[in-house]
Amino acid sequence: MLNYLRHLILLLVVLIAPLQVLAATGQEEATLNIPIVIGFILFFVLVSIVITWWTSRSMKSTSDFYVAGKGVPWVQVGIAMTGSYLSAASFLGCAGDIGVYGLDSIWLSIGFFGGYMAVLLLIAGPLRNIGSFTVAGALNSRYNDDRIKLCVMLCTVIISTFYLVPQMLGAGLLFELLLHWNFVWVTIGLGLLMCIYIIFGGMKATLYNQVVQALFLWGTMAVLITLAFFKVGHGNFLQVFDMAKEVVPPLLAGQNMEVVEAIRNLPPDQAIQVARQMMPDAQSAMTIGVKTSSTLAMISTVVALVFGTAGLPHILIMFFTVPSARAAKKSVALCIVALGLFYLAAIILGFLLFPGIYPKLVTWISQGTLGVGLAKNMAVLEMSFRVGGTWLMAIGAAGAVAAILSTSAGLMITVASSVSHDLYKVYINRNASEKQELRIAKITTLAMSAIAVCLAVFLKGENIAWLVMLAFGIAASAVFPAMCATLWWKHTTKQAVMASVLTGLIVSVIFIVLLFAKGAGYTIIGLPVGGGPGLFGVIASAIVLIIVSVLTKDTGDDPEKFMAIAHQPDTD
Amino acid sequence: MTPGSESNHVLKKKALFNFSLFFIFFIFYLVSACIQTPTFKDVASIPALGLPLGVLLSLLVFPVSWVIMIIWFWRAK
Repeated sequence: MLNYLRHLILLLVVLIAPLQVLAATGQEEATLNIPIVIGFILFFVLVSIVITWWTSRSMKSTSDFYVAGKGVPWVQVGIAMTGSYLSAASFLGCAGDIGVYGLDSIWLSIGFFGGYMAVLLLIAGPLRNIGSFTVAGALNSRYNDDRIKLCVMLCTVIISTFYLVPQMLGAGLLFELLLHWNFVWVTIGLGLLMCIYIIFGGMKATLYNQVVQALFLWGTMAVLITLAFFKVGHGNFLQVFDMAKEVVPPLLAGQNMEVVEAIRNLPPDQAIQVARQMMPDAQSAMTIGVKTSSTLAMISTVVALVFGTAGLPHILIMFFTVPSARAAKKSVALCIVALGLFYLAAIILGFLLFPGIYPKLVTWISQGTLGVGLAKNMAVLEMSFRVGGTWLMAIGAAGAVAAILSTSAGLMITVASSVSHDLYKVYINRNASEKQELRIAKITTLAMSAIAVCLAVFLKGENIAWLVMLAFGIAASAVFPAMCATLWWKHTTKQAVMASVLTGLIVSVIFIVLLFAKGAGYTIIGLPVGGGPGLFGVIASAIVLIIVSVLTKDTGDDPEKFMAIAHQPDTD
Repeated sequence: MTPGSESNHVLKKKALFNFSLFFIFFIFYLVSACIQTPTFKDVASIPALGLPLGVLLSLLVFPVSWVIMIIWFWRAK
């Protein structure tokens, strides 16, 4: 234990030292109250370290590392699940996107929210009853074929990497924009911090850190929306919507330099009127079509979000940490309520940005592509400053860090579990002891962190926001149909599961290649590839699954018994 | 009824209930999303309860989900 503590303190020093140097270099240029922001970030670092130290005392086996000993109360898992799902994109991006494009962007929030219904109704209970350490392990428990483990492990690594890299990149960019901190040092610092609490505390430390981060993020949003609603919206939601009908979307107003100059120093209410007078025929922030492309692209996105959430490995493994199926369902229910309130607040906050900071939004956008990014990421923080001063702005920035940490840590432990349990233990060293397996998981955590940092640095100049959508698309196409059929359909065969997973992966890869080669506007049978592989991937994967199940016979060792276990009556 | 066929019957009933609720949610969710696209902008603009229909339906996704969730927990007891 003392050794652990020594390592933790050493790593803390390594982590904090660059932050202090960065703070010193960024202090002159940043408009934000740097000491307060650093204070909040250090608070998070210290809380994480204390939680990690506390949880590391009880981490003795692989079960403790992978699934926190399967005894975590449902309330904590529900809150942690909320934290794991709420990334910086949810906290800053959902409202910021509405602030830039208007009404078209409300489906960013609603889309993310809707995913958990499939998880609750179709996956959570039976998956928990099957019980395993990983998603691949759960599928394999019916068919007992290592190739299934390999296929799903591959999907897990791809999905998690696609999800993780934008988180790291977002963190680096956020601090570069906000505090002028060095991008590389920020990503390395975050990578190190996550390694600390995954390596020393395993799933339990990850869960408890996610709980703290989720509560902080949720609390920040609650304070921010309450203050903004009464200070800026004057307590009348419908009035805010009415005003939005007059607003020229900042994306359009920001391209007109005369408007930009005319409204730069005006109060928001007046700026909205002046912009409308100068651009009387422009679309309004309540016009549909400023951003949304085709209906088919929308359907594909929605399909990816709904079925993708139910196939995201870092969400699914959380069900293995609770003691029963009923607890798993309750944790998802709590998560659905918390997420719903959060995303609803994000939508309202998005519309409140117009009466709150309209001239600032337009000025940002007038700076071109970089300005659009600034507006999307900084709008919520600017609003925090407007309604709560530097303290709330600093809390908001810390909230964004909390969001990034909680999501990224969940992804990293998922990859570590999958590689050590489904690849190393199955294909490299079948006789591996628990200690060896744990060591591989920890090495994987370090490697994954390094890879994510390198990819984030390498892809810094690219617009990779669509990677998250692709992660959802792959999860929906490759994991969900196989998982759902395995849990609910007795006639699903081993060959069908493998064919379905591979089909989902192949369709997704085709979309990724086309996205890189031809751009987001390129269409396949009317569907722009920018809409993601969700629609075609899920349909193709499901059709292949049904056809192969009909043509083959191997439904697993004892499908009746498997179904009986998966759907046993709930007990607490 | 043998124990095997009884468990089959229970599983089918459970599957029907869960998938039906999910289907109701998914259709509502999909329709609300599609209405918010340029193709259906005329329908989305119809005023309803002080809001455009598209916005109202989109925001209703939240309470509809919570109601479906409550029904599911209540019936699953």
